[in-house]
Amino acid sequence: MSTYNYVVTAHKPTNVTHSCVGNFTGPQQLNLIIAKCTRIEIHLLTPEGLQPMLDVPVYGRIATLELFRPHGETQDLLFIATERYKICVLQWDADAHEVITRCMGDVSDRIGRPTDNGQIGIIDPDCRLIGLHLYDGLFKVIPFDNKGQLKEAFNIRLEELQVLDIKFLYGCPKPTIVVLYQDNKDARHVKTYEVSLKDKDFVEGPWSQNNLDNGADLLIPVPPPFCGVLIIGEETIVYCSASAFKAIPIRPSITRSYGRVDADGSRYLLGDLSGLLHLLVIAHEKEKVTGLKIELLGETSVPSTISYLDNAFVYVGSSYGDSQLVKLNLHPDAKGSYVEVLEKYVNLGPIVDFCVVDLERQGQGQVVTCSGAYKDGSLRIVRNGIGINEQASVELQGIKGMWSLRSATDDVYDTFLVVSFISETRILAMNLEDELEETEIEGFCSELQTLFCHDAVHNQLVQVTSSSVRLVSSISRELKNEWRAPADYSINVATANATQVLLATRGGHLVYLEIGDGILVEKKHAQLKYDISCLDINPIGENPNYSNLAAVGMWTDISVKIFSLPDLNLITEEHLGGEIIPRSVLLCAFEGIPYLLCALGDGHLLNFLLNLSTHELTDRKKVSLGTQPITLRTFSSKNTTHVFAASDRPTVIYSSNKKLLYSNVNLKEVSHMCPFNSAAFPDSLAIAKEGELTIGTIDDIQKLHIRSIPLGEHARRICHQEQSRTFAICSLKYNQSSTEESEMHFIRLLDDQTFDFISTYALDQFEYGCSILSCSFSDDNNAYYCVGTAYVMPEENEPTKGRILVFIVEDGKLQLVAEKETKGAVYSVNAFNGKLLAAINQKIQLYKWMLREDGTRELQSECGHHGHILALYVQTRGDFIVVGDLMKSISLLIYKHEEGAIEERARDYNANWMSAVEILDDDVYLGAENNFNLFTVRKNSEGATDEERGRLEVVGEYHLGEFVNRFQHGSLVMRLPDSDVGHIPTVIFGTVNGVIGVIASLPQDQYVFMEKLQTSLRKVIKGVGGLSHEQWRSFYNEKKTADSKSFLDGDLIESFLDLGRNRMEEVSKSMNVSVEELMKRVEELTRLH
Amino acid sequence: MGSWIVGNWPSFDPHNFSQLRPNDPSAPSKKTPITYHPTHERTLPPPDQVISSEAKNILLRQFYQRGDEKLRPKRAAPENLAPEQECKHPRASVASSSEPPK
Repeated sequence: MSTYNYVVTAHKPTNVTHSCVGNFTGPQQLNLIIAKCTRIEIHLLTPEGLQPMLDVPVYGRIATLELFRPHGETQDLLFIATERYKICVLQWDADAHEVITRCMGDVSDRIGRPTDNGQIGIIDPDCRLIGLHLYDGLFKVIPFDNKGQLKEAFNIRLEELQVLDIKFLYGCPKPTIVVLYQDNKDARHVKTYEVSLKDKDFVEGPWSQNNLDNGADLLIPVPPPFCGVLIIGEETIVYCSASAFKAIPIRPSITRSYGRVDADGSRYLLGDLSGLLHLLVIAHEKEKVTGLKIELLGETSVPSTISYLDNAFVYVGSSYGDSQLVKLNLHPDAKGSYVEVLEKYVNLGPIVDFCVVDLERQGQGQVVTCSGAYKDGSLRIVRNGIGINEQASVELQGIKGMWSLRSATDDVYDTFLVVSFISETRILAMNLEDELEETEIEGFCSELQTLFCHDAVHNQLVQVTSSSVRLVSSISRELKNEWRAPADYSINVATANATQVLLATRGGHLVYLEIGDGILVEKKHAQLKYDISCLDINPIGENPNYSNLAAVGMWTDISVKIFSLPDLNLITEEHLGGEIIPRSVLLCAFEGIPYLLCALGDGHLLNFLLNLSTHELTDRKKVSLGTQPITLRTFSSKNTTHVFAASDRPTVIYSSNKKLLYSNVNLKEVSHMCPFNSAAFPDSLAIAKEGELTIGTIDDIQKLHIRSIPLGEHARRICHQEQSRTFAICSLKYNQSSTEESEMHFIRLLDDQTFDFISTYALDQFEYGCSILSCSFSDDNNAYYCVGTAYVMPEENEPTKGRILVFIVEDGKLQLVAEKETKGAVYSVNAFNGKLLAAINQKIQLYKWMLREDGTRELQSECGHHGHILALYVQTRGDFIVVGDLMKSISLLIYKHEEGAIEERARDYNANWMSAVEILDDDVYLGAENNFNLFTVRKNSEGATDEERGRLEVVGEYHLGEFVNRFQHGSLVMRLPDSDVGHIPTVIFGTVNGVIGVIASLPQDQYVFMEKLQTSLRKVIKGVGGLSHEQWRSFYNEKKTADSKSFLDGDLIESFLDLGRNRMEEVSKSMNVSVEELMKRVEELTRLH
Repeated sequence: MGSWIVGNWPSFDPHNFSQLRPNDPSAPSKKTPITYHPTHERTLPPPDQVISSEAKNILLRQFYQRGDEKLRPKRAAPENLAPEQECKHPRASVASSSEPPK
C-alpha cells in the first residue's frame, strides 16, 4: 500500500516573487536578494556580474521581503514575513559566513479574516515601526525601540476593508501610512493615517485623495526631497502629496511592479503585464514637483519584481517567464529599445499542466511542462541525467576495453581508437573523409587482448597485453622496446600514464616500469600476498605525467592498498569489508580535492578523501550505482575532469561546491568508455554498449536539463500521442490592440521532435480549452485527441455550455471527427473502459463511442453521476473513479457494468478545495488542495458498517507549501527493475512556483527508518530565522492545523549529504547507525529524482 | 526623444558589472549557489527578541486605556464585582467621552 510517502524536490522553485537590493553581506557589498516563494537567494554584485552566494531555504512561503537599516547599523537587515504569519529579522555574520536571527515571532491573530489581496508588510523609512496588514480591518504594528530592537506587536483598527496597497510616507515627523482602498461602490481612494505609538491608534493623516483611477493598484512612496506618493493606475499615474497633485494619462496597462532608480526618488522603472518596461520621471524645479513623464524603454519578461542594481543594470524577477538581468542602454537599438537582456534565469513557473513522455524511447521519462503565462508562455522539456548525443555508431560485439591514442605527444586531437576483444585487438582511426576505419599500428600486438594502452612521452605509445608491455613509436608505428612477462606469469591487469607502467601478474606480483625514450625500464617488483584485481596510477600530484602513488585493489582480502612509487612501499591499506572484490580503482582530483574511488563487482562505489601528505584515506562513502561491475574512467568536458562509471547503470561522477554528485547517463548499459577527442568529433566519448560502439558528445554535466520552447502564448493543457508522435495543447493567445484586449483559444498540434506547430484548430469566441486526452475507444483502434471545452461568457458565474471535440491526426493535421455539446465546462476527460468519461460542472458523465449507419462516429451519453460542487479533477483505475471536487475534497465512484450506472462508493467529508488528485494504488488516493497541503485518503473496504465503508479515511497529511496543479505517474530517472529504488512507485507533480517534485511510496520499514532520520535531522539542521520544520510541514488550513503524518520531507533528509562530517556523526550517534550506512541509504533516495 | 532622462544611471561601485561577459541569452545562466543548511545555534534570536502580539484585543485595550486615563480616581470598586458590571463601567464612559469614529 502506498500509505507512506516521501516528498522531494527535483526542480526547486524558480518563480521570483520578491527582490531587493542593499548592503546585506557587508557595508561595502551590494547584494541582490531574491525570494522564490520558499527560498531566498543572496547574490553579490561584482565586476563580473551577479555572483550567487547562498540559496537559503525558508520554512514558510515568503509574503514580505524587505531590507532595512536600523539606526546605528552599518549594514542592512532582512525582514521576512511568511504567509503563515511568522516573521523574522535576519543578519549576515560575515566572520562566520552564517545567517543569524536577530528577531523572530508570530504575528497571527486568533480571529481575523485573512486579506483577499495578499499580505502587506512595510517598514517605516525612519525605522520606527514595521507595519503589517494581514487581516481585513486590522493594521498590525511592531514598534522598534530606540536601540533598533523590536517590541511587542499590537493591532490598530483600520476602517478600510478592501485595501489594495499600503505604504509608509517619507519625511513625516510621525510614522504615516498611505492606504489605497476600494469602497463599497467600487471606487478607489487614498487616505493617510499617522500611527500614534503611544495611543496605539491611528490619527487622521495630513491628506487624502478620492476617486482615483478604477484600476489604481500600486503605491510608490517617494523619498525626500519630494516625498508624497505615486499612485499607479491602469489609465493614469498620479503624484499626490500634501501640497501637490499631478497626473498623467498612460497607455492602458496593468502595472504590478516597480523599481526605484535614484535615491532621491526622481525616476522609477515600471513593469506591466505585457512585459513593457517604462521609466517614470518626476519632473521638478528644485524640490517642487512640476509634473510626471513616462518613457517606454523596451520589453522584458512579465515582471513580478524589478530591482535597479548598479551602473544601469537591472534585475527583472518574473513569475510568468524567465527572470532576467538587463542593461539600460543610453541609446535605443534599431527597434527603439533601450533594454538589452544580458542573462536569463530559468523559470518553469507556473506549471499549469505537464505530461511524462519517453521521446527518445530509452525507458527514461521526460517531463514536458506548460510553463509561463501571457506572452512568456512556453513548453519546457525537463530531463534528468546526462544525455549522449550520438555522432556515429558501428556494430561491434564483445568489446573488452577501449583507449584513444594520439599520433604525436603534443597533438591536440586523438587519432587512434584501440578496441580490445577477448582474443584480438583492433585499431580504428579517422581517415581523411572523417570516417572511422580500421588501421594498424605495426608495433602493437593484434592477436591478443589489450589490457591497457596509453600515450607516452617522446612520441610513443604503450600497449600492455597478457604477455608483454610494448613501447611503440607513434610516428613510425614501429616497436621500439618490449618488456616480456616471465613464462607462467601472464599479466592480469595493467595501467599506465605518460611515463610509468604498473602491472600485475598471476601470483600477486606487482611490477613497476618507467618509460624512457625508446626504452622500458623495470624499476621495481613486489610480491603481494594475494592476486591483484585492479590498479591505477593516474597522476594527481603536481606533475601531470608522473604519479607518486599507486592504488591497488586486491582479491581474497578485499582491500585497496596504496603504494608509493617508484619504490612500491605499502603506505596505506583499507579493507573494504564484505565479499565483493574491487573491480576498478581510480585516483583523481575533483575541484582540487584528491579522492580514491573504488568500484566493486556488485555495482557499489566507495569513495575516500585522500590526504596527499599523510596518505590517509578518510570520509569513506558508499553508494550504489548499479548492480554489475563498474569500470571507472576519467574524461574532460569544458575543461573540468569528471569520472565516467561504466556499468549497467552508467553514471557520471562530478563535483559541485566540493561535494561529489552522481548523475545518471541516459544510456541503458555501458561496458566501456574512453574519451575520444578527434578533429572530426571534438570532445567526444567512445562508448561500448550492447554490441555497439558509439561516438558521441556529452551534455553539460548537471542533473536536470531543461529545454525551452517559447510559444508566445499561454499553453494550459498538454498531452502526448504515441501513435502520431505529436503533442496537442490547449492554449490561449492575448491580442492586445490599441483599442481592445481579446483572447483567442486554440488547440494546437506539435511535432514531438521539433516542437513545431503543425496544425491548429481555433476554438469559438469565448470558448476555452479545459481538458485534453489522447485515447482509443472499444471497437476502434484509432488514436484520438479528445478535448473538453467551456464557453466562458462574461455574464455567467459558471459556464453552462461546453463541447467535447474528438480529433484524429491525419497527414499531420487535426481533423475533427465528432463533437458533442455539453451543459457546462468539461473540466476533465478520461479514457474509461473503452469509453470517454467527462467531468462536466457538477456531473460525471460517461459517453459511448458509437458507429452511425453512415459510418461516422458519435459520442452517446450512457450514464452519469451528480453530486459535486464542481468536479474538476478525475482519475480512473479499472471501474473506480476518483473525483477531486472544487470544495468537497475527494470522492470515490464506481461504474457498474450490469446496471450501466455510476454510483458513489465513498467520500472524504473534509472541505478541501482541490487542485489535483491522483490514484496511488487500489486503496490510497493522493490529493493537493489550495492551502498548499498534500493529503492521502484510503478506501475502507473492511469497514463494519455502510457508514464506515462510505468514508475515505485520511491517512496522510503534509504541508507542501506549493500549489500543485498536476500529478502524473512516472519517473524522471531510468528505472531498472533490479536496482534498489527500481520498485518504488513514484508520482511527479508540477506547481505554480515551477517546482517539479516527486512523491515516492516507500515500503514501511524504509519509511520508519527515514522518519527517524528526519527527526534527528530536525535537531541538527536548524530553520533559518528560527522557523520550525515541524510546524512548517504541519497540515494547515483555515479550519485546522495538524502534525504532518505519513509524509516525509525528502529535501530535509537529503540535506544530510550536505552536512559536515561532525554533524553527520552527531546524527549517526542519535540514530545508532553508521555514517556510511546513512549516506548510502540517503544517496539511494537521491537517485529517485 | 527622451534620451535626456534615459541615462546618468546611479552608481554605487563603478566596477560592478564592468567585466560582465554576457551569456548567450538563449542559454540560461547555470550558476547555482550553495544551499544553506544552518547547524549553528544563532538561528534562534536572543530571548527578548521573540515577538508576540499583544493579547488584549483592540476594544479591551481601549477600555483599559480610557479607563486608566479617566476612571482611575473612581476605580475603587470592590474586587469582587461581577465581571458584567466591571465591563459596563468603562463602556458607558467610552460612549460618552469619545466621539464615534468617522
